[in-house]
Amino acid sequence: MSQQATALPPEAEAQHEPGYLAVSNVTKRFGAATVLDSLSLSVGRAEFVSLLGPSGCGKTTLLRLIAGLLAPDQGAIEVGGRDLTRVAAHRRNIGVVFQNYALFPHLTVAENIAYGLRAKGVPKAEQAKKVADALGLVRMEAFADRAVTALSGGQQQRIAVARAVVVEPSLLLLDEPFSALDRKLRETMQIELRHILRDLGITSIFVTHDQDEALVMSDRIAVMNEGRIEHLGTPSEVYARPKSLYTMEFVGQSSRIGGVVTGGRDGLVEIDTPFGLIRAPGHFLSGSKVVVGVRPEAIAAGEGPAGEYNTVRGTVAEVIYFGSRTLLHFRTAQDDDRLHVELNRLPDTVSPGVEMTVRWRVDDSRVFPAPAGDDR
Amino acid sequence: MALFGSLFCRLVLGFVIVFLFLPILIVLTVSFSSSAVFAFPPPGFSLRWYASLANADSMLQAVWLSTQIAALSTAISLVLGTLCAIAITRGMIPGAKVVATFMASPLMLPGLVLGIAFLQAARDFGLRDTYSTLLIAHVVITMPFIMRTVLASLSLFDFAMVDAARMLGRSYPAALWTVLVPNILPGFVSGGLFAFIASFDNYPVSIFLVDVRTKTLPIQLLNQVEMSPDPTVAAISALLILGTIAALIVCDRLVGLKRMASI
Repeated sequence: MSQQATALPPEAEAQHEPGYLAVSNVTKRFGAATVLDSLSLSVGRAEFVSLLGPSGCGKTTLLRLIAGLLAPDQGAIEVGGRDLTRVAAHRRNIGVVFQNYALFPHLTVAENIAYGLRAKGVPKAEQAKKVADALGLVRMEAFADRAVTALSGGQQQRIAVARAVVVEPSLLLLDEPFSALDRKLRETMQIELRHILRDLGITSIFVTHDQDEALVMSDRIAVMNEGRIEHLGTPSEVYARPKSLYTMEFVGQSSRIGGVVTGGRDGLVEIDTPFGLIRAPGHFLSGSKVVVGVRPEAIAAGEGPAGEYNTVRGTVAEVIYFGSRTLLHFRTAQDDDRLHVELNRLPDTVSPGVEMTVRWRVDDSRVFPAPAGDDR
Repeated sequence: MALFGSLFCRLVLGFVIVFLFLPILIVLTVSFSSSAVFAFPPPGFSLRWYASLANADSMLQAVWLSTQIAALSTAISLVLGTLCAIAITRGMIPGAKVVATFMASPLMLPGLVLGIAFLQAARDFGLRDTYSTLLIAHVVITMPFIMRTVLASLSLFDFAMVDAARMLGRSYPAALWTVLVPNILPGFVSGGLFAFIASFDNYPVSIFLVDVRTKTLPIQLLNQVEMSPDPTVAAISALLILGTIAALIVCDRLVGLKRMASI
């Protein structure tokens, strides 16, 4: 089975009122370190946006700034047209689901959920009704009078979500809420939480370092690096058409082939690489050092028509079997180059050391300038 | 063999319990004695020593003074100690561990040394008032007990809960009051109880600081035993035991002895 085209999922029909959450030119420094560097982000009403990045990229700091648990050095934060930059955290009406849930162990499940309602002075009878509704929403009705310490991780998370949404916040922030769950449960909870939040129509900002989580859950993903947003786009944009090498490599697997541009025309460039000549869409001057990235599933075995395809020959270095798919690694003399190929059906003859021909569409190649200090 | 081992252990446990309780039982019995001397077993029973307490002015004064000093020093230590403990766990202070150890160090110094030091310091600072000198010294004595238990409670406390409370609409002080305080209450209560007792029955430090008119209970009791060893002392002790039991019951109702013991 050949994989002709990169399968682009249908874009979600995003009809989000733009600019509901507006973060404008926010800078935050801790001592000499600039954690956020004049960052701007606009999120539509009822949109689910993930902040995706490695630890230390500033995503949690941005979350805490929006929450009001930290104050920015510069810039402004608005929600629904209301400037919150100087508003105290407890007056912002923003809900947060914390990483370890931060449930109150001295209160029962129902009391935990009622906490925010009590703080807002909601009448007792209404409190009871809202708590019951919230418990129903997360399917935890039977647990109202339990101690939160007696709940499992997944159950605690449901309560944390119920506690945050019961006060009808104008914005919901989620700080790596799945990191404490095992993989199976995590996948179930991701889908369930997505449904709950979509049904409530609540605008959500979700912090994660897990790209799969971000791809599954988000309307849009903001890929963050060193205090800046590298790429803000829908999951398919971020995955299939990354704007930078960083995004390409952080989200999903990719091949990385270094080379030098030898020429180009009609919006295509020709690049001399250790795997031979490769063509890719882009505009670079001849002699530029570039890096070509290709998603592993865009590559197929065998030759393709020369006009539309890049065809290269290489030696298989490693075969990694996953059951439903197999990953082949090709290497060249230069250690940094790698060609990762994902195949659903493996030709019988493939084993480490065997020479093999593979192809991918020219359009599936992404070219980026070689990172500074990359001397090849 | 296992049966014998378990039996032996139970026997030892029984002996230790008897060993611990016997002196208390003897004091309780003697306090109801009809004899004017400290005799066990008592020749007869009466309530005369409890009645005589009403006239034992110096003794009652000492009880009152000790109660005041213990209560005040515990209260001061609770507030100061908790603030210090929060600073040590949250404040990113350089050498926080050293500070914590230093705050607990009065527990490791012999009381005699502390007593002499306080006497000397009070003189050098020109502090003549016995009451305030005693109070200051007792704050130092009680502080380690508060520090120890509150630090232990705080180390188990997730400060994200305070953030959670703030995001749910409580101001920072209200968040501390509704989330931090209930969760470290066992630490407060058990620390406070130990601190109160440490101050109440402190002898080695207080002996250097009291004067003729201002005497704490342990010192007054010892004077009494030396001068007129009648069962009034036993009656006072019996009442103290009663007070302690009452305090434990209150603490149990408040936070539960199990939670207190686990701190």
